[in-house]
Amino acid sequence: MTVSPSIPTFPGRILEVTLPAGPGGSPVVVGGQNALPLLPEGDHPHAPAVGMEIRTGPEELPPALAEVIGPFSGNPAALAQKCVSGWGARFLFLSLSGCNPDAGGQGVQDGAAIVREVLAATATPVIVGGCGDEDVDGRLFPAVAEAATRPVFLSYAEEKNYRLVAGAALAYGHGVVSWSPIDINIAKQINLLLADLGFPGERVLIDPLTGGLGYGLEYTYSIVERVRLAGLSGDAMLARPILCHLGDAWKAREASDASEPGWGDSALRGRRWEEATGLACLAAGADLLVCRHPENVKRLSEAAWR
Amino acid sequence: MALTALDIYKLLPKTNCKECGFPTCLAFAMRMAAGKATVDLCPHASGEAKATLGAAASPPLPKVLIGAGEREVVLGDETVLFRHEKTFCHPSAVAISVRDDLPDADFAARIEAIRGLAFERVGQRISVDLVALRCVSGDAGKYARRAGAAFEATGLPLVLLAPAGPLAAAADAVGASRPLLSPPPEDLEAGARLAAARKLPLRVRARGMGGLAPALATAREAGAASLVADPAPECAREAVADATTLRRLAILARNRDLAYPSAFDLGNGFPDPFLAAALLIAKYGSLLVMDTADPADLLPLLTLRQNLFTDPQRPIQVEPGIYPIGAPGESSPVLITTNFSLTYFTVRGDVEAARTPALLLISDCDGMSVLTAWAAGKFTGESIARQLAECGIADRVAHRTLILPGMVARLSGRIEELSKWRVLVGPQESSALPSYLRRLTAAAFAPSRG
Repeated sequence: MTVSPSIPTFPGRILEVTLPAGPGGSPVVVGGQNALPLLPEGDHPHAPAVGMEIRTGPEELPPALAEVIGPFSGNPAALAQKCVSGWGARFLFLSLSGCNPDAGGQGVQDGAAIVREVLAATATPVIVGGCGDEDVDGRLFPAVAEAATRPVFLSYAEEKNYRLVAGAALAYGHGVVSWSPIDINIAKQINLLLADLGFPGERVLIDPLTGGLGYGLEYTYSIVERVRLAGLSGDAMLARPILCHLGDAWKAREASDASEPGWGDSALRGRRWEEATGLACLAAGADLLVCRHPENVKRLSEAAWR
Repeated sequence: MALTALDIYKLLPKTNCKECGFPTCLAFAMRMAAGKATVDLCPHASGEAKATLGAAASPPLPKVLIGAGEREVVLGDETVLFRHEKTFCHPSAVAISVRDDLPDADFAARIEAIRGLAFERVGQRISVDLVALRCVSGDAGKYARRAGAAFEATGLPLVLLAPAGPLAAAADAVGASRPLLSPPPEDLEAGARLAAARKLPLRVRARGMGGLAPALATAREAGAASLVADPAPECAREAVADATTLRRLAILARNRDLAYPSAFDLGNGFPDPFLAAALLIAKYGSLLVMDTADPADLLPLLTLRQNLFTDPQRPIQVEPGIYPIGAPGESSPVLITTNFSLTYFTVRGDVEAARTPALLLISDCDGMSVLTAWAAGKFTGESIARQLAECGIADRVAHRTLILPGMVARLSGRIEELSKWRVLVGPQESSALPSYLRRLTAAAFAPSRG
């Protein structure tokens, strides 16, 4: 008996995007596929890539994270090296959270200096994130764009600031991450605006905003699926690699609370919480995952097949 | 795919005899296309028409029931490939395994651990659904006794993973609880005859689509009607591909030979069961058998299932009321927002991040976000003033200051007019709450004499 499976074919193809590395490092290339994720059909020239987040600001880490990345607190360059050579991160997301006025007052130039230090410490591709304060980020992104000694990605460009971020990126040859708040229309709109500025599509990633497991993950899941289906169906503005931040998973009480005896070991549970968030993102179509627990670089890479 | 009225009309006799109760064949066809009539109303329909139209009316993926009563588990009966197209209806069922050859005390402890795998989340109870009893002893009497004990202790329906002999014995003992018969491939025919005789659901296990097609046909020929397909993959990657193929065959191709709910045994040495389970919850796994009973594994998996099987058109709502965050006192800030669960969780998370004890008022806005609720007239000066007066918040704090979402700053005048509360306009985005709350001075919440 022969079975003819129904394999959908798509007219579109996701744009291939390269996150450049420094001398001796391996660039990360994602995109290029014309099929849905995880399935043995169509072309999948590149597997999804798993990277790690480095935050420069002070923060109270959940115990499962404190144990492993706590010792590197205040030393982003050392953590960057460890992430890459010790834990296998294929890229780094350097979040300049320390420049937020609420976070203890690193100045814009301090942030730019940290970027230089991290770039000097490792040859791996880097995405630089702002601090979340609109005013500061307005000064921070141009400073980072100028200070970076090799091409990076700036995260993120949204409707309010895209001219500034894209302008800074264009001037110094960087890429940008386009951000939208779990909304496919805004995701498309911001990519249209970037294209109108003449920003090259092969230097743009889509960050659809990732809710953590149990706290809005289902919205992200469906937006990622819809963005991917739209891109494969021929919508060029959405045919871009998708980046998902798993950091929100750690904000869930379930990821850290050790006081519930029926919930099992909190250290394992925290890791699993981030892992399950990441696996759902991969199933929906994410191309880049930013995780926080070193073990999850390995775990999620297990499912990041082509 | 569903047939159009015109497709259906072409299959009808086109005599307009009215015996179906409709004035014309076309009118009848239109009713059928809308799912409001079935072909058996037409006494003159050809065999071909009956076969085609009968099949088109049944769900693309059949429904399989395991267990009975309150804990009945429904597999299959899905109509879409992506949750945003409509919704997924029947959550992937999770069965936790237990071996029948464990010493009595260990068996009882394991069953107790399985029973404990139930959690409360956002007002819903999430739990594992079945107990999978693995026959290791080969002893039919023992297996049947253990099946009885497992069902008695948990009330959960059973998956009976056993060769023909023990399977028959267990079906005698617990058949009334409607277990899923899961014989090994070599006992398929015996298992299928047992399923047919007792009208029980049957799991058919064979490698890949090539193996499943003849195996499912064998089961049907033996009279088993309620079937679940286990493609016996060797790794997560194969499992996702197989589950996707089965689901597409049902929904896109309307294939009848292979369109069954899928089942996967992720225990017994299956590599990386957690990873496989998470991916199969997202991608079309109907029944997952797991060997882990660790809540640190299951709470994340069951939460993922709860997330993905939520109806995207009906947002989960939070119960309106007063939610304390931290240990608030009578001078703690009072914030208000709507009862859309994502709004609630976001605001709650940001207030927690501020490390300022606070009271969060949740308004009944039919599960809409702040701006949507305001636009729909569900979050107004009147509704907020009424809630402030009636919800009892005035007894919880000594001050009368309310922090309003920045998006609806325009409501502040009306609220102050209608209530005795002063309004502080909060930030536009919830993410700015931590710094906003930290900047507030204690004087803002000084006791009011009003």
